[in-house]
Amino acid sequence: MRRQLRSRRAPSFPYSYRYRLDDPDEVNQNYLADEEEEAEEEARVTVVPKSEEEEEEEEKEEEEEEGKEEEEGQGQPTGNAWWQKLQIMNEYLWDPERRMFLARTGQSWSVMIRPFAHSLNFNFNVSEPDTWQHYVISLNGFLQGYNDSLQEEMNVDCPPGQYFIQDGNEDEDKKACQFKRSFLKNCSGLEDPTFGYSTGQPCILLKMNRVVGFRPELGDPVKVSCKVQRGDENDIRSISYYPESASFDLRYYPYYGKLTHVNYTSPLVAMHFTDVVKNQAVPVQCQLKGKGIINDVINDRFVGRVIFTLNIET
Amino acid sequence: MSQQTPEIYSVELSGTKDIVKTDKGDGKEKYRGLKNNCLERKKKNHKEEFQKELHLDDHKLSNRELEKKYGTDIITGLSSTRAAELLARDGPNSLTPPKQTPEIVKFLKQMVGGFSVLLWVGAFLCWIAFGIEYSSNKSASLNNVYLGSVLVLVVIFTGIFAYYQEAKSTNIMSSFKKMIPQQALVIRDSEKKTIPSEQLVVGDIVEVKGGDQIPADIRVLSSQGCRVDNSSLTGESEPQPRSSEFTHENPLETKNICFYSTTCLEASTCPVGTITGMVINTGDRTIIGHIASLASGVGNEKTPIAIEIEHFVHIVAGVAVSIGILFFIIAVSMNYRVLDSIIFLIGIIVANVPEGLLATVTVTLSLTAKRMAKKNCLVKNLEAVETLGSTSIICSDKTGTLTQNRMTVAHLWFDNQIFVADTSENHSNQVFDQSSRTWASLSKIITLCNRAEFKPGQENVPIMKKAVIGDASETALLKFSEVILGDVMEIRKRNRKVAEIPFNSTNKFQLSIHETDDPHDKRFLMVMKGAPERILEKCSTIMINGEEHPLDSTARACQVACMELGKMDERVLCFCHLYLPAHEFPETYKFDTDAMNFPTSNLCFVGLLSMIDPPRSTVPDAVTKCRSAGIKVIMVTGDHPITAKAIAKSVGIISANSETVEDIARRLSIAVEQVNKWDAKAAVVTGMELKDMSSEQVDEILANYQEIVFARTSPQQKLIIVEGCQRQDAVVAVTGDGVNDSPALKKADIGVAMGIAGSDAAKNAADMVLLDDNFASIVTGVEEGRLIFDNLKKTIAYTLTKNIAELCPFLIYIIVGLPLPIGTITILFIDLGTDIIPSIALAYEKAESDIMNRKPRHKKKDRLVNQPLAVYSYLHIGLMQALGAFLVYFTVYAQEGFLPRRLINLRVEWEKDYVNDLEDSYGQEWTRYQRAYLEWTGYTAFFVGILVQQIADLIIRKTRRNSIFQQGPFRNKVIWVGIASQIIIGLVLSYGLGSVTALSFTMLRAQYWFVAVPHAILIWVYDEVRKLFIRLYPGSWWDKNMYY
Repeated sequence: MRRQLRSRRAPSFPYSYRYRLDDPDEVNQNYLADEEEEAEEEARVTVVPKSEEEEEEEEKEEEEEEGKEEEEGQGQPTGNAWWQKLQIMNEYLWDPERRMFLARTGQSWSVMIRPFAHSLNFNFNVSEPDTWQHYVISLNGFLQGYNDSLQEEMNVDCPPGQYFIQDGNEDEDKKACQFKRSFLKNCSGLEDPTFGYSTGQPCILLKMNRVVGFRPELGDPVKVSCKVQRGDENDIRSISYYPESASFDLRYYPYYGKLTHVNYTSPLVAMHFTDVVKNQAVPVQCQLKGKGIINDVINDRFVGRVIFTLNIET
Repeated sequence: MSQQTPEIYSVELSGTKDIVKTDKGDGKEKYRGLKNNCLERKKKNHKEEFQKELHLDDHKLSNRELEKKYGTDIITGLSSTRAAELLARDGPNSLTPPKQTPEIVKFLKQMVGGFSVLLWVGAFLCWIAFGIEYSSNKSASLNNVYLGSVLVLVVIFTGIFAYYQEAKSTNIMSSFKKMIPQQALVIRDSEKKTIPSEQLVVGDIVEVKGGDQIPADIRVLSSQGCRVDNSSLTGESEPQPRSSEFTHENPLETKNICFYSTTCLEASTCPVGTITGMVINTGDRTIIGHIASLASGVGNEKTPIAIEIEHFVHIVAGVAVSIGILFFIIAVSMNYRVLDSIIFLIGIIVANVPEGLLATVTVTLSLTAKRMAKKNCLVKNLEAVETLGSTSIICSDKTGTLTQNRMTVAHLWFDNQIFVADTSENHSNQVFDQSSRTWASLSKIITLCNRAEFKPGQENVPIMKKAVIGDASETALLKFSEVILGDVMEIRKRNRKVAEIPFNSTNKFQLSIHETDDPHDKRFLMVMKGAPERILEKCSTIMINGEEHPLDSTARACQVACMELGKMDERVLCFCHLYLPAHEFPETYKFDTDAMNFPTSNLCFVGLLSMIDPPRSTVPDAVTKCRSAGIKVIMVTGDHPITAKAIAKSVGIISANSETVEDIARRLSIAVEQVNKWDAKAAVVTGMELKDMSSEQVDEILANYQEIVFARTSPQQKLIIVEGCQRQDAVVAVTGDGVNDSPALKKADIGVAMGIAGSDAAKNAADMVLLDDNFASIVTGVEEGRLIFDNLKKTIAYTLTKNIAELCPFLIYIIVGLPLPIGTITILFIDLGTDIIPSIALAYEKAESDIMNRKPRHKKKDRLVNQPLAVYSYLHIGLMQALGAFLVYFTVYAQEGFLPRRLINLRVEWEKDYVNDLEDSYGQEWTRYQRAYLEWTGYTAFFVGILVQQIADLIIRKTRRNSIFQQGPFRNKVIWVGIASQIIIGLVLSYGLGSVTALSFTMLRAQYWFVAVPHAILIWVYDEVRKLFIRLYPGSWWDKNMYY
């Protein structure tokens, strides 16, 4: 039923209505600049598998009606001048290429850190393992999915420095690139099971929130850089990044959504605060740097940056 | 029958004498009636004061006794010191204003009335919630503080609005104050002094000139040709003569008492009218003071619409509180934090309370009020707009309301025939035969034997509206002849007056002698008019067809004619003339009116005229309309039963074929007692009969007779009648114009005062003023009132519907744990934003069927908000709307990545501030702010969903029974304005204010606006089907349960 509905709908879409299919996983085609037309084709098809995959029993009538509704709302004849104008206006209201809505970003690239710390305050005493043990446990747990053996078994080793684009049927399972725990070197917990917490040199992992179909600007991976947010810049004297490039490699993008991209592993950048002033709170801001990366949204402190406090007592 | 005759004849010529005859001992009884029926409900001090009045016997005392009683001297007056003492004892001679509720109390009442309490509770809960949160977490969000403040603002705003509306209605006492004369001429210390009348004390000797107001209740010591206008007190339109004689047991009827605030008139016969009198009562102890306290003592009854709205508020508040508490308990037992549960409670309350509705109702009422004002119904108390619509009994005063309140020539008799004159407001259509020579003579007498004159400077005023100097019947004759004959003054000039005897109560005739306008005729013409018995005895011949015949057999015919007219209670005047022989009375003859050196007998009877205060031409039609609208019209008048009955018959209050007990008795020639009193359809009840009745008997009369006339009633009895009607569960409208009506006007569910003839006191006691004094305007009022009731039903149904759509999100949020579908602020934007203009627009809806052909609503059975209305709005349309709005909500979330399944029980994670990578159905991760933004988008989507379906709701609410197409979808343009406003406000909120964080609106993608459209269409189809079945199967289960 659902499939019929969708497929019936898909061909009826005029070319210009692709903006409507702005589900996160459809944005990618805009970047296939040289093959617009093809991308369009794709765009139409892209919806289908996702919808099918998601075919869960409980989304009953509502979804169907939604489909119906969309048809009613959108299924206008092309070539109508009035409709074209309306469409231009709509394009302004919602710009699918940049995922901007009235020039505002709906879903920007946000980041999150691990280990998990309440209020993002890393407050521990080096000599008291109780104060940092939970960070270690948290990190260990988080990195279980990154174990080298697991990654080698499940995921492929794909060429670095370029997008891992997988064409083909949308409902086909996608392969995921390996991100091995060992990439994190000193912060992998393999050599130092305490992730540096026992020596007052804590590791903090930066993870980018998954956004379906989202890709950083071509050929220029996003870098991470941390510094003191307020106060003396010299409070942090050195940070090591792992992987050393301090960037998220392009091969981990785009993300096709968890329905097909089952084993997708979010790339990480580990920040090893090797020399931080002790016994005082140091506010740290880690920002993503790269073309088109927004990292100064006031309302959302997790878009393109993350702010946390280190207070390491000895 | 012949015994009746003199009584009827005497009506015109000596009003008071008639009262003496018909009302012996009535006065005292009046007060007994008052004591029995009225005072039981009054405060104790009132009771004492009335009892004291009962003993008013100053009119019986001689001057000497009076001096003794009040410690004063008729010649020298009081001493200043004594006066000062008395002033200190009795207080100033002014009416105490009733205890006023302080403005601030009124204002505060508005602030806590209706839904306000719920909103206050909500606001305080908000602040408490914030306080608790703040004490544990200094960075607690200020959202709750904002919400609380917004709620308080809403309360204050609507409170100010309501207060402003109420403040418009004026105070009854202000008019009584206005009536007080400013200065009084008083004799104190043997000197005449002018003092402010507030300083008068009992025992003061005052002088009142014609034209002044009487400064206090005074006992007349001496009077020179003065009359007082008691019309505002007793309803008698005729000025009453005043003298020092004690003429009647009842202080109200006796000639030697003048009442506070009545006007002293100069009788036309006496150029310098003055009254010297002794003050016997001052201030609140005067008669007018008693009526004032009676009027202000009558509590302002709650209007039917106020009761309905209260009932509605109770229903909604009951639903709100019970659902709120139920879900509070559920939430707590589901292990939500108490703080969260409180927030839920607030949401439920806000969703349930239609914040904008009371303001809408006020606006709706005032729109109708404006519309009625255009039709000359000025509404003082907004809620009274509807009251007229639910009125089931109208108690109408006679004088000035049903009648024109001016004497008008109704019938003529000459040449042995009765002619009917046109009594309509402009006299335009006089159809009787004017060719007879008798008429020529008669018209000459009418013109000449008349002292009334038009006031100068009114050339352009229509004749009937010109002001006249002269008494009522002379005015009537003057206007009558002016209309028929043309310039009366010119005719009088041509027939120069040489001598005159003005009317006085001993002669009972008026006589004047004129030169004729025929230059060859040197005779003098003597013309005379007067009471029939006086004129007939002076005549020996009668003119028929211009020829004189001896008056013998025709005298009988004449008497019959008089009787005939008298039965209709018309005031009869006979006219006769005599040409004085030229040889006996040469041109130079000196007439001496004192010595009467001319004959006054053997005159020639020419004809007679009868006059009545005719009913207004629009009244019979209006009464019929009231009848067909199921409204009982009762006449309550201070006037005589015969007059009252005659007018009642002519306007249809007593219909042509119904009989009173007396009529039946006369028809069957049996005694009145033998008639089965329930055989009669109509009843004429006098104040005398009324005073002996228990309230059960009054109820019996009101319930059993369809057509009732109450005559000779006192203000207190009017009150009793109104109360009796109200005991029958009737909504009572009272119309009236005099001070004596003001207690009844106040007591009635709706008091209607006359705008032109009405006294200020009546206008102030009334809820509505008829600017054109036209009873027919009441019919308009009834129509508007019924329409507004129907339309208010529609408005409320419209407003209630969306409450379910606003409430469900909270319930589902608590039970299923979805991210909150709609915010409290957003709800306020619907209630106070998009929905306001559409619900007002429903007030412009035309009636679905002829509302004037159905019975008035029963005030206890036909509620504004009844069960079908609540069930249909809440559970049918409301639930459909909620579903539609949820559809839009799920669509938005699904398109953003959260499929409905993912949303279930997501609430806790969703609202955690520190979770910044929450996964959606596609594995994408959302920060808290991104989720919040999506949540606001959800609010906006839900808002748009409700908005779109409210448009359908608005369209279906246009009618309750008819199809939209029968009603005409475009007849009410304002509805479309309302729809446009809804959409525009929605667009502005979403796209204009979408960037203001506190409002939690976002810019919604255009297509989401169309998601709920199929649901809107479904709602419309559903309602059309409902209406179709109601029309197809009237009286069926469907009709009973689905028609609201």
